[in-house]
Parts: sequence; structure tokens; C-alpha cells
Amino acid sequence: MIVKRLQPMMSHARRSYVELMFQVMGRALQAISEVDEATRNETCELPEGFLFEMQVMPNGPKLIVEHTGNGKLLFHGDEAPRPVDLSIQFKHIAHAFLVLSFQEKTSVAFANDRMLVDGDVSYAVRMTRVLNRLESFILPRLIAERAVKEYPASIKLPEKLISAARIYLKVATQFVETVRA
Amino acid sequence: MTNKYYEFFCPVKVIAGKAALEHIPYELTGLAAKRPMIVTDKGVRAAGLLEPVIAACEESGLEIVSIYDDVPPDSSTSVVKDIASVYRKEKCDSIIAVGGGSAIDTGKAVNILVSEGGDNIAKYSGAGVLKHPLKPFFVVPTTAGTGSEVTSVAVITDEKKGVKLPFTSSFLLPNAAIIDPRMTLTLPPHITAATAMDALTHATEAFTCMAKNPLSDAYATAAVKKVSQSLLSVMDNPKDSDGRLELAQASTMAGIAFSNSMVGLVHSLGHATGAICHLPHGLCMSLYLPYVLEFNLESIREPLGELLLYLEGPDVYSATPASRRAEASISAIRKLRDALYKRCELPRTLKETGKVLENQLESIAKLALDDGSIMFNPREVSHEDAMAVLRRAWA
Repeated sequence: MIVKRLQPMMSHARRSYVELMFQVMGRALQAISEVDEATRNETCELPEGFLFEMQVMPNGPKLIVEHTGNGKLLFHGDEAPRPVDLSIQFKHIAHAFLVLSFQEKTSVAFANDRMLVDGDVSYAVRMTRVLNRLESFILPRLIAERAVKEYPASIKLPEKLISAARIYLKVATQFVETVRA
Repeated sequence: MTNKYYEFFCPVKVIAGKAALEHIPYELTGLAAKRPMIVTDKGVRAAGLLEPVIAACEESGLEIVSIYDDVPPDSSTSVVKDIASVYRKEKCDSIIAVGGGSAIDTGKAVNILVSEGGDNIAKYSGAGVLKHPLKPFFVVPTTAGTGSEVTSVAVITDEKKGVKLPFTSSFLLPNAAIIDPRMTLTLPPHITAATAMDALTHATEAFTCMAKNPLSDAYATAAVKKVSQSLLSVMDNPKDSDGRLELAQASTMAGIAFSNSMVGLVHSLGHATGAICHLPHGLCMSLYLPYVLEFNLESIREPLGELLLYLEGPDVYSATPASRRAEASISAIRKLRDALYKRCELPRTLKETGKVLENQLESIAKLALDDGSIMFNPREVSHEDAMAVLRRAWA
């Protein structure tokens, strides 16, 4: 009975968490493309103006980023200025929650058919690498190991700490700017 | 609670064995189809493989209304459009694809156009675009390797844009796959070897990559066993129709396995090598399989060790310490490749192909990293990792 009463609250909390995580990830994607050269090496292969979306089906929370050139990404919130070029879609909010709460790795979610790719698969592979790199930087190693297939041995602690600090600072600045606007 | 989850889907009716072709008329009639069109290529026709199909239909009073036998090795949007227009002109009501991967993919794409309407196949490209069942579609494979008769994917080249269009939908799955040993009896030795190694790779990757699941595992292990037991005997005695049937079934089973659990780095490297160096897909699979297994070894030690039972049989399996079984599986695959090299000179290294230059390895690695199948490889793959595998496969 209690579980039944709590169900709507839990659903709401889960949805709010996914929305918040998309907001953080979108801003963090923009930030990592500004601070990390390896990320720019990945994203600069995307066409200029390329719009990438992560979304929960059918009309759930979403994040949209654009490649503005030279590997730089721009977070557009949840509204795309034009039709997106690549969309990675979670089939259900529960699946997005599993991934965004680090209970299921992104690669495992793909293997488990939790997500669909609409668009060029090679770009989806590239964006997944960027997301993995982002998670490896901004999450404590123990949590990052739950999120990515393999924690990159090339990321050393000093680089991780400095990059994470710069990404978080940029994310916080963007949040403040959004609130002010 | 465990987070384990999987999906498995294969609604294709498999009609396999002696006189399987003779079931086509009955099966078509069961779907209310009376005017089938055959989609095939010139090689299949020249090899006389259409005759038993046509005879099987005619003996039951079922007329093959039209035969399109000009499918190129890399099928294109214009070919699909041409075949669809013939289908409509002749008022056909079903398609029988007879051939290898290209003819089967073309048949799938033609079926989209004649079922959904229009002339622009590109409109239906992507995943999940199709929302309705298509016309009755049968597949008669003439190679034992691709497994296309049980996959829900087709790839067609858009020659104007110079890109490959992928089509993914469960509606692309044929209504029936007809596995008749007569269709693979005349396969030349090097194609027999390469396509069987393709099936072995499908099964091995299905069993060791990230989306493995209990149902696809069952198909994968059965396929590995059939290839291991029958390939060399068919190479020594090409007219062994029982052995041919075993290989054809192995290919279908491996197809069911990998279409439900995906493949990994062997395919990423193979697709890239095929695109850059124009090597046949099956050969690429045979080239890379042991080197990729070595790369993945520590992530797949348990399932790979289990495969030894199906590769070498119970005696070798039980005589091998559990801690050495994974390495023994790789050795068994290497031994099989050596045996094939002796019989038909199927290359074991990139250098032996004579068609790959060492300075192409960088481009192959770069392209492989963007291949969709790399997502399902059990280990993360960096550019350096891919290069290391390629260097080992070089010579």
C-alpha cells in the first residue's frame, strides 16, 4: 500500500533526476570540449553545425548539443534549433535512470537494447567515446568505473583533478548565467 | 536484483535439409502468394543454382513470374529501384532471393519498396522506420557464412551520394529461409573456407561479446561445433552433402546468434579492411579472429575457454586445465586456419593476402574505431590497441 502511494513520488523524483543529469551533462559536454584536446580531436570530425541529441522516449527529458566547429560543442538545452542529425534515445525513463545513476554502463545499456540510435552509427560511436571521457574526468574513479567500459589508463590523477575542476567551474558558471538570464 | 537483461527475436521459419527447395511452393501458397519473383545474380545463374529452385516450383504448378539476375556484388539504390519496377510491371506478389549477402540484401530492399510504395529506398533508411509487415519474402542462401537469411538488416549503396544506407527492421526478416545442401555443393574451396570462417567468427563473437545471452549462446555454440566438425571434411570432399548441410546450418545458427547478440572488434576491423582494401568479408574475419581474441583474452577468458568444448570436443576439453582453455581455443582456431591454408591457401595474415599495404594499417585502424560493432566489444579499443592488433595480423 505504501509502495503504491510512493510510486508517483518515485517516478517524479526519477524524472527530475534524469532532467537534472541531462542539464549537467549537456553543460559538461560543452565544457570538456573547451578544456580537453583529446575530446576536441574526437568532435572535430563531426560536421560543423552537427546537432546531437540524447532523449528519453517518447517525449521525455532531452539534451541537445551542437558542434560549432574546431571540435567545440554548444549546449542548447532541450530545444533544437533545427532537426537533429543524431539522436540516442532511451526506450524508457527507467533505462535512462539506470545509466545516469551509474547502475548500468552506457556500453551495457547499448548491448541490452535500452537505447536506440537514430542517425549515423559512426557518429554515435564517437559521441559515446566523448561521453565516456567526460564521465572518466568528472566522476570519482570508483563511480566512473561503473559508468564506462574501461577506465582509461592514460588519465592520471593530476590531469583528472585539474580537468574536472575546470569542467565543474564552467558548468557552475553556465548554471549561474542561465539563472540570471 | 541483477541488472541482466536481453532481447531475442527470430521469427524466420527455417526449412532445412534434403529436398528443402521442394517446400517453397507449399510455403508460398500458405502465404497466399502465387506470383513470385526471383532476385539473384549472374554467378548463381551461371552455376545452375536457379534450376532446382525453378523446377521445384514448376512441378507444383507455381510459375516463377520474373527473374532478375543482375544483382551486382555491392547492390545499389538504382538496382533496387529497377527491380521494384519489374516487380510491379509483372504484378508479382512475393520475392525469393537466391544468392549470397548482396542478393539477399537487395531482396530485402526491394521488398520495402514494393510493400511501402514509391521509388526512393533512401526514405526508409535507418532503424525502426518500417511500421508494417512486408510482402512474402523467402531466402535461399547459396553460401554458408553471411547468415543474412536470419538478420533484420540490409545495406544498400547510394551511388549518387557515395554512402552505404543501412536498413534495420524486424519486418526485413524473411518469412522463410530455405537451407538446401544442393545450393552450396559447388562452392569453390576458398569461398567454402572463407564463408565458414565468417560463420565461425559470427558465433565466436556472439558468444564472447557484450550482448551475449543464453539463447544466442545456444545457437553460437552449436554453430561452432558444426563448423569445427564439418569444415575440413567438406574441404577434403566438396561433394559431401551432409557436411555441406552442416555448414549451411551452422551459418544460419551463427546468424541467429549474432543478430541477437551483435559482434565486436573482428567485425570492426573486417568492415574497415573491406572498405579500404576490398578484401572479401569472410577472409577478413578469418584474418583477424585469433588476434582479436588474444587482445580481448582477459575479458573473455571464461566464455572463450568454454568454446574449447565445441572447437575440439570433450576429450581435449577435459584434458585441458580450466586455466588454459581460453588459450587452447585460440590455438584450435589457429590450427584450423593453418589447415585451410594448406588446402586452399586461405591467407592467415594481411601480408599473405597480397592486397594490403603496411601503410594502410593506420587508415584501417581509424575507420574501425568508428564502426558500430566496436560498441559491443568486451574491451575498450583505442587507436593504439587497434594498431597493435593490426600489426600482429600483418605478418
